[in-house]
Amino acid sequence: MKISFNLNGKDISLETDPMRRLLDIIREDLGLKGTKESCGEGECGACTILLDGKPVTSCIVNAIHAEGKKIQTVEAIAQTLEGKLLIECFDEANAVQCGFCFPGFLVAAYYYLISDGEPELKKIKNALSGNICRCTGYTKIFEAVINACHRKNEIRG
Amino acid sequence: MKKVRKVDAIPKLDGSFRFVDDYPDTGMIHGFLYYARVDHGRIRKIILPTEFDLTEFTIVKANDIPGENIVPEPENDQPFMVKQEIFHYGQIIMGIAHPERKIVKQFCQQIQIEYEELPAIIDVKDCLENENNAFGKEITIDHRKHEPVAENWIKTSAVYYTPHQEQAYLETQAMIAEFDPDQKSMFIRGTMQCPYFVKAAVESIMGNKINKVVVETSEGIGGAFGGKEDFPNIIAGITALLSFKSGKTVKTVMDRSDDIAITTKRHPSRIEIESWTDPKSRRIKKINIDYRLDAGAYQTLSPVVLARGVLHSYGAYHLEDAYIKGRLFRSNTPSNGAFRGFGAPQAFFGIESHIEDIATKLKIDPAEFRTINLLKPGNRMPSNQVIKEDSLEKCLELVLKKSNYKIRKSEYEEFNKTNPDKKGIGTAICFHGGGYTGNGEKVLKSEVKLLIDSDEIVRIFVANTDMGQGAYTTLAQMVSEGLDHPLEKTITQVPNTSLAPDSGPTVASRTIYIVGNLLKELAEEIKSNLQGSSLSEHIRHNPQAYPQEYHRTFTPDPSISFDEETYQGVGYKDYSWAACVTEVYYHASTYQLEVTKIWNVLEIGKPVNLGIAEGQVQGGNIQALGYALSEFFYKRNHGRMHGFTDYSLPTTFDIPEIDIEFINTESDLAKGLGEIPMNYPAAAIRNALAHAMGIHLSEIPLIPERIYSFLKERS
Amino acid sequence: MKFYKPTSLPSLFQFIETVENKKYFLAGGTDINVQIKNGMIKDGTVIFINHLQELKGIRKVNNDIIIGALTSYQDILKSDLIKSHLPWFGKSLRFFASPQLQSMATIGGNIANGSPTADVLPLLLVLDARLKIMAKSKIREVPCNEFFTGYKKNILKRNELIGAVMIPMNAEQDYQIYYNKVASRRALTIAKLALAGMMKIKGGKIEQIKLGAGALNEYPRRLKSVEEYLTGKQIDRIEVLGIEDILKSEITPISDLRSEKEYRFQVTLNLIIDFINAQKNN
Repeated sequence: MKISFNLNGKDISLETDPMRRLLDIIREDLGLKGTKESCGEGECGACTILLDGKPVTSCIVNAIHAEGKKIQTVEAIAQTLEGKLLIECFDEANAVQCGFCFPGFLVAAYYYLISDGEPELKKIKNALSGNICRCTGYTKIFEAVINACHRKNEIRG
Repeated sequence: MKKVRKVDAIPKLDGSFRFVDDYPDTGMIHGFLYYARVDHGRIRKIILPTEFDLTEFTIVKANDIPGENIVPEPENDQPFMVKQEIFHYGQIIMGIAHPERKIVKQFCQQIQIEYEELPAIIDVKDCLENENNAFGKEITIDHRKHEPVAENWIKTSAVYYTPHQEQAYLETQAMIAEFDPDQKSMFIRGTMQCPYFVKAAVESIMGNKINKVVVETSEGIGGAFGGKEDFPNIIAGITALLSFKSGKTVKTVMDRSDDIAITTKRHPSRIEIESWTDPKSRRIKKINIDYRLDAGAYQTLSPVVLARGVLHSYGAYHLEDAYIKGRLFRSNTPSNGAFRGFGAPQAFFGIESHIEDIATKLKIDPAEFRTINLLKPGNRMPSNQVIKEDSLEKCLELVLKKSNYKIRKSEYEEFNKTNPDKKGIGTAICFHGGGYTGNGEKVLKSEVKLLIDSDEIVRIFVANTDMGQGAYTTLAQMVSEGLDHPLEKTITQVPNTSLAPDSGPTVASRTIYIVGNLLKELAEEIKSNLQGSSLSEHIRHNPQAYPQEYHRTFTPDPSISFDEETYQGVGYKDYSWAACVTEVYYHASTYQLEVTKIWNVLEIGKPVNLGIAEGQVQGGNIQALGYALSEFFYKRNHGRMHGFTDYSLPTTFDIPEIDIEFINTESDLAKGLGEIPMNYPAAAIRNALAHAMGIHLSEIPLIPERIYSFLKERS
Repeated sequence: MKFYKPTSLPSLFQFIETVENKKYFLAGGTDINVQIKNGMIKDGTVIFINHLQELKGIRKVNNDIIIGALTSYQDILKSDLIKSHLPWFGKSLRFFASPQLQSMATIGGNIANGSPTADVLPLLLVLDARLKIMAKSKIREVPCNEFFTGYKKNILKRNELIGAVMIPMNAEQDYQIYYNKVASRRALTIAKLALAGMMKIKGGKIEQIKLGAGALNEYPRRLKSVEEYLTGKQIDRIEVLGIEDILKSEITPISDLRSEKEYRFQVTLNLIIDFINAQKNN
């Protein structure tokens, strides 16, 4: 089946099994390796991308779900102003250890920042409740996101 | 103390950092480890699915192994693949590869095997309660005084249990093997902690079919925590064999459900402690400890876990009359392996819970009881090692002060009088020996290398991997400081066995403590030979002298020794010390325990990078939180967990406030930190529950079902 | 597996008639894809429906809030209609699964999947929700508490699917409310048990009480006998033993990898008592 969607600003069309995992299309067909697979069942958030602006775990999303939609992966989000701000805050807070979970966290945190962005710990915990980190104990991640929330108004002038 | 940013943070954050499955893989075929689905048995028949074109597949079994079908381990008793008899669920029967990952998975799902089943021991208690299951290494520390037990001494005895724990590194086990038939060489890239172990494993399985093995880790290693200390040997060995047989480069990436089912876990333990305490002096007079670990079907590295476990089982206390016996027990489960703490979290759960139990029995405040009995300068451990520093006392004093322990304790007791929900506060103290146990570092003889080139870049060549703990950054910092050379120009190289000497595995809290300090000494020596000029200046004025290579090998301290038979002597040259207070909230209606705050005070000498050090404490605390409250891998009559849906890891809502302070940071010596933050929180949480509810549970995790069941039985 | 994407709702119903073997409706995919991964779904026909706009959206029609079966949980949580008319319903779902799963998971899919642990069902049961069941040329309404007949069994016929969930607009009005989902952690977790409650008190007596239980039976249920027992009783004269006895016949909790049956039973009893006790202070 032919599936067409917009990926990171570019229109893509490919012939594929409509049930093929979106994660595999992104990593294997399109060669974008930033999005990771860790559990394959939507339980850890490592494969988080934005589908029509909403965070989803791409390991349990099918190609057919992408039809006609807009997809953003970590590669594109890392280039946005908010994405860059988050990266700067995570770096500053020393919040990254092995880094495997981070693309997923970046996408989830980015979504929070642009859709809400209140520097409130409980809300941030909720926004990141679908992302698992085994290395950091989350504490510095929270610090980084709170800091980004405080600073988000600086970046758009 | 510096708060220096990590050198590899940015590519990790924007997704450009490459983990094993991110490297370009055109032309690679996909490997899969097919494993046994019985706990104990023999294979009668293997039926391969017929709807596939078998010529597309590469299949390897035990009889395809050209070298040795033995995985090199401290104890060489585990085969790479099943010969005839299967000794545990998850034992590898064959390696299978195919150009398409989806196809090899489907193929494997459809393989049918007829087994002859044999009796099996899989339940942890069935294993550890029966002394007939003891096998392999045994350790006895006899520090007895042979004095009679006085009449007024109070006896306390209990049996403590800890379960398996899954490391749950976010990146599953994965390896790439590339055989070069012209060179008869094998190149391995993978996610691992010990490149030289993997090299030895591939050499073992391939025998004389290859002349050379080169192992290089991937740029990124997505977590390990001990889980990638020895299992990579198996996946690398079999993937290498598949590459050899197929003539193609093979990539094996494990599926999470397989990874959870068959790879190494933390050893479950049974620790029986009997002690006698003098109520007048409030000193522990005599203690016996029976420390048992469920090793699984093979010993592999369990003897080393046992060694550390035994040397930590007596806790941070001055015990003048002690008898400790450590044993491995066999079960029909996958061989257990390393996980942060390596026998110590089990040990401290036992001893710290026991200390609490004694204090409660004697009606002494547990923190005070610890203060009376803890190791002070001049005291001897049961291993006869004399403690020189007073760090432990200072840590405990400070953490009690910071947490307002006394005030909180009485406030909570007041609250508990009139509320069905309860609040509690608990303490724990501990230590962690740095580096390999006993003579281990002497035997390892770690070697490091620095390469300084005319581009003014100092390249660090070690076999130690950065699995998130920040080794690339901290090692570079130590060299940069020793050389007084800019950090941006001091770069730790991704470990490659053809370029880096064997500086030992990335385990045992030794990376900074042993390898870092060795690098620092080398750097300082190089600097002292520069006769006052900076390295950059020297390079610019003497370009012909570069590139220059420098090596240094670990030299053991000749004044210390350790007897491997009696376990007497210097178990570890330096210890890191810690004290902890935790505060909990108990929800009466649901029997759920919530941790609201953890205070940590640690003495680890000089923290090389404060931000990284804090991250290690937070990460270790939360893994211990999971260990204490929600993580268990196997349940009697219900089997094993299959994935993250069942295995309950802490997520964002479960995180308490964490307070951290390091003392003695002006020290010259940087000691180990990676494991200690995992050692103590579980016991402190258990002790906080004891304070809140007056119940002394002897088994973790402290799931609400266990608490409920205990309360029901008591009433 | 076969795959079919209907162009419209009518063509969907047309197609269903032709399917002989097992069929699966693919909405958000959050359940189906996990089952495919685990090998629990291998053959059959997958019918994609997530694009059918007629089954999406939340509207107010007469006295009902109508939630299209293909409305995602995220849309439910964001909906102004839900926030203004059914705020407790919305609030109770805010930690459902995770943000990523909320984006894709649909309320219809969640119900049709039939897990006895589904978070939303105890809430729908006490809100007296009805399900709009659609077929080719027929629409019928079924009260939520009559939808299930057994473990993962429901009254849907071969050619039917859930079209919408209908909740009376003022279902929450004038009620004291209670919801507690007990699990191993707060988010991204399957319930060990869940209890939803609605109560009306008058003159110190329980005038009306509704209790919806999840993960305690083969399918989520109203605890009708307990409700009956409690109706008309003085709120400060309720005997725990009385409730306990009746509860024994109403719920059949099991022991599994996740929890124990004695624990599940006792906690359910505790939560019912908590709900009642909370009203004593009002």
